[in-house]
Amino acid sequence: MDFTVTDAHDSTEIRLHGRMTFSDHDTFRSVIAAFERPAGHRMVFDLSGLDFVDSSGLGMFIIARDTAQKKKLDFAMRGARDEVQRLITLAKLHKVFTIDA
Amino acid sequence: MEFPTETPASLYGLELGIPLGDRRVLIADDSRFNRRTLARFLQWIGIVQVAFATNGQELLDQVESFDPDLLLIDANLPPIDGMALCRVLRGNPRWRDLPILMQSTRQTDQIRSLCFQAGATDLLAKPINPGECVARVRYHLERRSMVQELRAFRERVERDLRQARSMQLALVPDAEWLEAMASRNALRIEPVFQTSDEVGGDFWTTFEIDGGHVGVFVADLSGHGIASAINAFRLHTLLTRTPPDDLRDPARLLTQLNQRLADILTVGQFATAFYGVIDRHADSLRYAAAGAPNPLLGSRGGFRVLDASGMLLGAFADAEYENRSTPFHPGDTLFLYSDGLTEARDRDDAMLGEEGLADLIEQAVLTAPEHPFPWLMARFAERFGTGLYDDLTALWIARDATS
Repeated sequence: MDFTVTDAHDSTEIRLHGRMTFSDHDTFRSVIAAFERPAGHRMVFDLSGLDFVDSSGLGMFIIARDTAQKKKLDFAMRGARDEVQRLITLAKLHKVFTIDA
Repeated sequence: MEFPTETPASLYGLELGIPLGDRRVLIADDSRFNRRTLARFLQWIGIVQVAFATNGQELLDQVESFDPDLLLIDANLPPIDGMALCRVLRGNPRWRDLPILMQSTRQTDQIRSLCFQAGATDLLAKPINPGECVARVRYHLERRSMVQELRAFRERVERDLRQARSMQLALVPDAEWLEAMASRNALRIEPVFQTSDEVGGDFWTTFEIDGGHVGVFVADLSGHGIASAINAFRLHTLLTRTPPDDLRDPARLLTQLNQRLADILTVGQFATAFYGVIDRHADSLRYAAAGAPNPLLGSRGGFRVLDASGMLLGAFADAEYENRSTPFHPGDTLFLYSDGLTEARDRDDAMLGEEGLADLIEQAVLTAPEHPFPWLMARFAERFGTGLYDDLTALWIARDATS
């Protein structure tokens, strides 16, 4: 998996690309490092470039949400498709995550 | 040239380093002067376990009996020469990694290349440079012990993983007990449970609850490796401590397990799970799920998918679960599995997927109506191989047609 970070005035968009699996732990640490933002800032994961996510990947989403909560940031995910969308639905993530279309 | 007989305090002002007293060095040279000189240098770096060979045959004998950590060999060692002896040694797997330092008076690039090609690890000039000699000997001895440590560590870890894996296999119901229990309840339960080369977090169990109820539990702990396996053991313990009252209500069981797991799992860890209770008298299956792969239920009309969506188990303390119910008549089949089945990748990197699995099951009941499950798993193994990157659980549960 690779990712790009795009900063705007009060929001940051992180675009995830490729397959998100167990071997992406180190990459994900860098993603979390981007969560160093002031309280109230909005963090968005753009998942449109993500082809696949395994249980470790889902775990990373949960860690991101937890990190955002601890730093009082808004956190949302959007653009999930195919397999990724299927997993998000199966795990009923919309009950705890802000999932935009 | 005369060299000091006592160990100097330092060489050219440089420290001589930690004494390598526990290493063994074999010196193969037909000149007594050379043998003594080299032994003295080795003494400077604390090497006192030294053996000698004056010719090729003695060298081969000494290598076997002395078992050196390093060999210093003269390129002109009689009767053939050092390079030929080097090749002989390298031909034996036992000496493939032995550091061999070859000394030669002839230092042309061609000669040096030939020495390396013969299997020498490093080359030393002749006449000997003491500083270079001790530096290279030290380097190769230290490197060798690093490699040996790494190898030993790796072997230990692999042993531990094998043991963890066999413990994981011991968590699932015993085959004999399972057959007896199934028989008592007019069921046929065929399990496949394979742990991957990397220890994983799959887990399943089944048990009799009173009054004609049989519970089946399948879970997959997130991640890989030892951490997942440990969490699988924890889940197993929680289940075994659950009182029967809580086993009758799937949603209640998952709710309680969720709360306990949310306490002990770290952020980002969770399990997907399915828990179903077969009721023989009511001809029904009552179940609750936490994002498990969708089970398949087979009846006279064919196989249909059951909805196993639900919040991940152990991730969020206040997660709620709901009971669902579906008819489960004599002759019906319940197929449960972990994502190791649907997410396996074949040679073309294609996954089986839910649709692929549904097709395969349909083919199985058509082609091998008496024993569809072994047929299914055989086709799976053909396409996806048997080396697993993830654990694989598959349960074929059939109610006897006449019960």
